Amino acid sequence: MSSVLLVMGFVGVLLLVVLVWVLRDPRKLNKPDDDLASNEEWGQRHVAYFPQVRQAIDRKDFEFLALRGLPKLTKRVRKERRRIALAYLACIRADFLKLWRLARVIAAMSPQVGAAEEFARLRMGLAFSLRYEIIRIKFFFGIAPLPELGSLSEVVSRLSIRLETAMKNLGESAALASKLTSTLHDGRGLDTP
Amino acid sequence: MNGMPLYVQGLWACSVLAQLAVLALLVLKGNFRKLPFFATYVCLNICQAALIYVMIAYWHPAKGSSTEQIVSWVSEAATLVVQALATTEVLRLVLKPYRGVWGLTWRVLLGISTVVVFFVFLDAVQNVDWAIVVAERGYHLIFATAVIACLLFIRYYAVVVARAYKWLLAGFCFYSCTIILINTVVQVIWYRNNPYTEHLWQVVTLLSFTVVQVVWAAALWKALPVDLPRHNIDSDSLYLSVSPIINQQLRRLNEKLMRLWKLEARPH
Repeated sequence: MSSVLLVMGFVGVLLLVVLVWVLRDPRKLNKPDDDLASNEEWGQRHVAYFPQVRQAIDRKDFEFLALRGLPKLTKRVRKERRRIALAYLACIRADFLKLWRLARVIAAMSPQVGAAEEFARLRMGLAFSLRYEIIRIKFFFGIAPLPELGSLSEVVSRLSIRLETAMKNLGESAALASKLTSTLHDGRGLDTP
Repeated sequence: MNGMPLYVQGLWACSVLAQLAVLALLVLKGNFRKLPFFATYVCLNICQAALIYVMIAYWHPAKGSSTEQIVSWVSEAATLVVQALATTEVLRLVLKPYRGVWGLTWRVLLGISTVVVFFVFLDAVQNVDWAIVVAERGYHLIFATAVIACLLFIRYYAVVVARAYKWLLAGFCFYSCTIILINTVVQVIWYRNNPYTEHLWQVVTLLSFTVVQVVWAAALWKALPVDLPRHNIDSDSLYLSVSPIINQQLRRLNEKLMRLWKLEARPH
């Protein structure tokens, strides 16, 4: 059996698997907290809590406790605060994903979509996920890259502001379009009994 | 009938009945107006089955003769061309309101198809004896890849697709995937001169085709959804202004992450 036949067989199975995956109802996959519209904390990003998280994982606290001769307490505090940092990182990722999805919605509603921009975003989204996992592992093993985490939060925050402005524009456009349609329908007498 | 076992004949009859049911649904529900190429595709399939039946029952051409080969493969080629048109028709109906996404999708499809054609050509060069089988498999490979790429785009951009259209596309894609697998398996078995190869090929092909027809009949049971006017954002400016900003921010974010990645381990 030639290698080409092997590849063809593999590709056939792969295509079937991808087909089944693609056909799954996306609504079942969306968690309730993924919903953009229902997110009550849209205006409040988790990055706002960075100072508290920074305080929580600051080395000075651990050094102070260690100097006082409380190794058990130091260990417990470190463990708890690391858990907080990991939760914070996960929230930053959630923020990022929400913003990323919003960018996708804007693209879907636009009459023109730039291929280069979309590919770049797709690539960067994948890179973000990969690096996020790496950072999470670093945190898990007790490495706390604080300055970089701060910059990361800042970037998400800035992106959030930009996208909120975009969303506002989008809302205004949709309202205008709706108003126009309504006027047109009135003109044709479609809405009149 | 030309040495065809009874169970294959039965399966063939079932597939024809299923196709007639799909055609009847298309006509009765008025869906043929919306999907003219799809209706043509179903008609062509029925005509192809009738032609092959007449050929086998009345002309009695020798098995594997040039007449049989030409009639079978020419009618198959015509059906495949209409299949591509029917699929494009469904995709156009789904993505028509999303001009930007459709514009991006067809360009990506063109690129993917070109790459797949290259690989199919490589495959065909190595298998001159199996040229027709390889060509058919190549076609289905391009077709399935293109449809799946479109479905991926639809999913990525969260485009709402009516269930009927989704199942029509899925049916086309499923059938193409099974043809790729069947042709590959048959090619492997045939090398070993297995006497049951031909019947196996007929049974599996007819079975998958019948399954697809049943799915289509279920999808077309209700009338297709009415197109509602959908409003895009009023101009290109919003996308063109926001998209580079988002990408720039994401790039910076990734750069930050890269720096994190490069950090040395620091004990507390």
